[in-house]
Amino acid sequence: MLTEVVEEYLEAIYKMSLNGPVIAARLAEWMKVSPPTVADMLKRLSDKGLVKTSRRDGVKLTKKGLETAETMVRRHRLWERFLTDILGLNWDEVHEEACKLEHAISSPQVEEKLADILGHPETCPHGHPIPGTRGARKREKEAKPLSQCSVGDEAIIERVADEDSQLLQYLASLGLLPEARVAVKEIAPFKGPMLVNVCGAQYALGQEVAAKIMVKGK
Amino acid sequence: MQFSCHSALNKLRGETDFTIALAGNPNVGKSSVFNSLTGMGVETAHYPGKTVELNVATTSLNGMNIGIIDLPGTYALGAVSEDQWVARQAVLDGNPDAVVMVVDATNLARNLYMVVQFLELGYPLVIALNVLDVMRRQGRDVDIDRLSILLGVPVVPTVANRGEGLDELIQKAVEVARSGVRPSPLGISYGLDVEKNIRRLTDAIADAGLEDPYGLPHRALALLLLEKDPEFIELTSAMPGWEPVLELAVGLRQKIAVEHGQSAATRIAGERHGLAGIITDEVETRKEDQKPGWGERLWRYTTSPTTGIPILLLVLAANFLILYFLGNALAELISTGYANYLADPVRTALVDAYGENLVTLSIIWAMDGFKAALTVGIPFVLVFYMLLAVLEDTGYLNSVAFLTDSVMHRFGLHGRAMIPIVAGAGCNVPAIMGTRVLTTMRERVIAGTLIVLVPCSARNAVIFGAVAFYSGWQSTLALYAIILVLWVVLGLALNKMLPGQTMGLVMEMFAFRRPHTTTILKKTWFRFRDFVFMVIPLLLVGSVALGALFQTGILLDAANWFSPVLQGWMGLPPIAGVALVVAVLRKELALQLLIAMALVQGVDPDVRNNLNAFMTNEQLFVFALVTAIYIPCVATIAALARELGWKRALMIMGFTIVLAVFVGGLVNQLLLAF
Repeated sequence: MLTEVVEEYLEAIYKMSLNGPVIAARLAEWMKVSPPTVADMLKRLSDKGLVKTSRRDGVKLTKKGLETAETMVRRHRLWERFLTDILGLNWDEVHEEACKLEHAISSPQVEEKLADILGHPETCPHGHPIPGTRGARKREKEAKPLSQCSVGDEAIIERVADEDSQLLQYLASLGLLPEARVAVKEIAPFKGPMLVNVCGAQYALGQEVAAKIMVKGK
Repeated sequence: MQFSCHSALNKLRGETDFTIALAGNPNVGKSSVFNSLTGMGVETAHYPGKTVELNVATTSLNGMNIGIIDLPGTYALGAVSEDQWVARQAVLDGNPDAVVMVVDATNLARNLYMVVQFLELGYPLVIALNVLDVMRRQGRDVDIDRLSILLGVPVVPTVANRGEGLDELIQKAVEVARSGVRPSPLGISYGLDVEKNIRRLTDAIADAGLEDPYGLPHRALALLLLEKDPEFIELTSAMPGWEPVLELAVGLRQKIAVEHGQSAATRIAGERHGLAGIITDEVETRKEDQKPGWGERLWRYTTSPTTGIPILLLVLAANFLILYFLGNALAELISTGYANYLADPVRTALVDAYGENLVTLSIIWAMDGFKAALTVGIPFVLVFYMLLAVLEDTGYLNSVAFLTDSVMHRFGLHGRAMIPIVAGAGCNVPAIMGTRVLTTMRERVIAGTLIVLVPCSARNAVIFGAVAFYSGWQSTLALYAIILVLWVVLGLALNKMLPGQTMGLVMEMFAFRRPHTTTILKKTWFRFRDFVFMVIPLLLVGSVALGALFQTGILLDAANWFSPVLQGWMGLPPIAGVALVVAVLRKELALQLLIAMALVQGVDPDVRNNLNAFMTNEQLFVFALVTAIYIPCVATIAALARELGWKRALMIMGFTIVLAVFVGGLVNQLLLAF
């Protein structure tokens, strides 16, 4: 059972590592403690096999350390979503609370249920991604453009890749949105348009348009 | 008749007791409703710079004058595409007392998207739930009362093309218009997180106490700003006091984007769509799956590449044949009838009474021009419009567009352009007017130019008479091959050179529907009427002008003046030049004129049977080629002007002349060299 402090450090190292190699001095600043305290802590973490320190790469999480860190981050962010989505707090008010709550979960089942009731969100209210479940990273199936599907395929729209928001909005009004189910009925000759079925209606989509719609197989 | 939108809408408001706007998705039967409610007094209006048109009409009910604005069929209101922009702008400008939304019951969820938008905008609404009969046949049904409660507005079931339910519809609309009660906001709202942001902005707008553009409710404005609607952002940026609200909107848009991983506009669209779906689920019931009807089965054959293409070729061939043979037959009939009963008697009467002077000859030319209108208009244009209306109403046009889109894309066109282009082989005039089904001006310009290069039956007659008869079928094929090459090269070139992009194809496909005679007839009539009003004056004026030029001998002088080009480069005698100019009136006259001119010049009367008397086969070839390429006939010019504007029409004219002279001369030089 890891102490709260240890979990905090791991979380901090995880977040900092997203910006580059983690230096002990920076870590001290972040955690608002003195450098000797950090040095002490890092030794303990290293003994537990959670981090590895080197002069070249700074502080790095081991696989075990990474798992733990991700879990903490995940819980923190899930709690933030709970506070905003269910309790209705403002997104700028939830960080502190979540910091305390994240250490309160002791079993993965509770974490799962929390994720369930929130509908398995992928980002916290601030837009940061919520890491995959403890252990296995969920590998998302590769999304491919609709234009690469064949007749008879059914897929789910993941996103519409386009800087042109006009096309996005036009498609949205037809129901071609993320999570919508698309079935390919027909493809015209000479790389012509695709005939698809979406929300009970049929549309002919030109190849260039279909190429911008990213889908995942069911 | 055309008006600018603003004046048309103002006029409507002034003249009527109530104004009602008709809205709905494309192909839901909105035009059936409009046609049933209005008589012949339909005026079209359009916003400057936009090609989409608005139909405006009045009708009376129980002694009240009611104005009806027929908005273009769109899937949503917004600034995303031209038709959506026009639809929304017309509603905002027209400020109707009530909006009637025609909803396709078989596609409720998607149709409800725009219903929700209208409710958000706060217009008094009545819903016409159309095509319920088809829906029931499919084994589904809608709980109309529940729908009405959920939306908070009256819902009237209709079968528009049979005229059922329309009386009740208009009654309800007038009721709603009279009461002036705006619908209350929907009981159901968007998802919590988005709703939070919407409310924050709505409150900010309310608190600021600012002037509301178009008098729209605060929530509607908040949504428009969150959707980053370019029109409204521009509008409010220019209005004093809106800066803090706009800044807040920017911040909230970012927030939504971060929270949901997609732009705020897309998120809101998604929420709206979700809302429409929820409502649909609540009111729609479905029984067991029914077998697909004849419409659906037939339609599948037309869109599958293996069966669709042969069917397409058949249909195109049938179209062409009908136009060609039926058209020509009718033209002949009218021509002889006109000559026997009108033209000849009048001519003899005039000449007997006043002799042959400038005035009488001009009148005779004018009558000839009128004859042109009749023999081009009725047979070809009318028949084409009827064919087009049938293809449109059954929905076959979409199958055509689907199959041919990729090929057409090389030319910067969409599959829909196929039909007018092929129709050009019968007669260019209705083909050009048929480019109206294309959505952007760029497409219309390309299609229009390409149509002009398709030899119509008149030009084919010249080609056959001048080349096939004298030089044989190989030369004829060669001539057509030259035209084909020109056509392809031009199409590809235009696509590369003209600025703008053809937007990717996104087109709804629906199963076949039985076409309804009254709708087809009305559609045909409206389009034909446009043609008549535009073309006939031009033909008359053109005929008189040409006649004067011809009779006074100016044309012959001009032809002599151009002889370096005419004779030197193209190798044609001066009288051929005159014939070419006069043939602008009627292309097939080119040959007759050639003969007539030859006779006038004193050539052996045998020339009637043998053009070789004064022109070699090579000259005839060049003559036919030039006839096929240069300026289309007067009627075509009129049609071009109508559809594309005079500037573009004249440019196309100039271009074809240059092209004809260039290619004609080139061929001549090549022939001489060998």
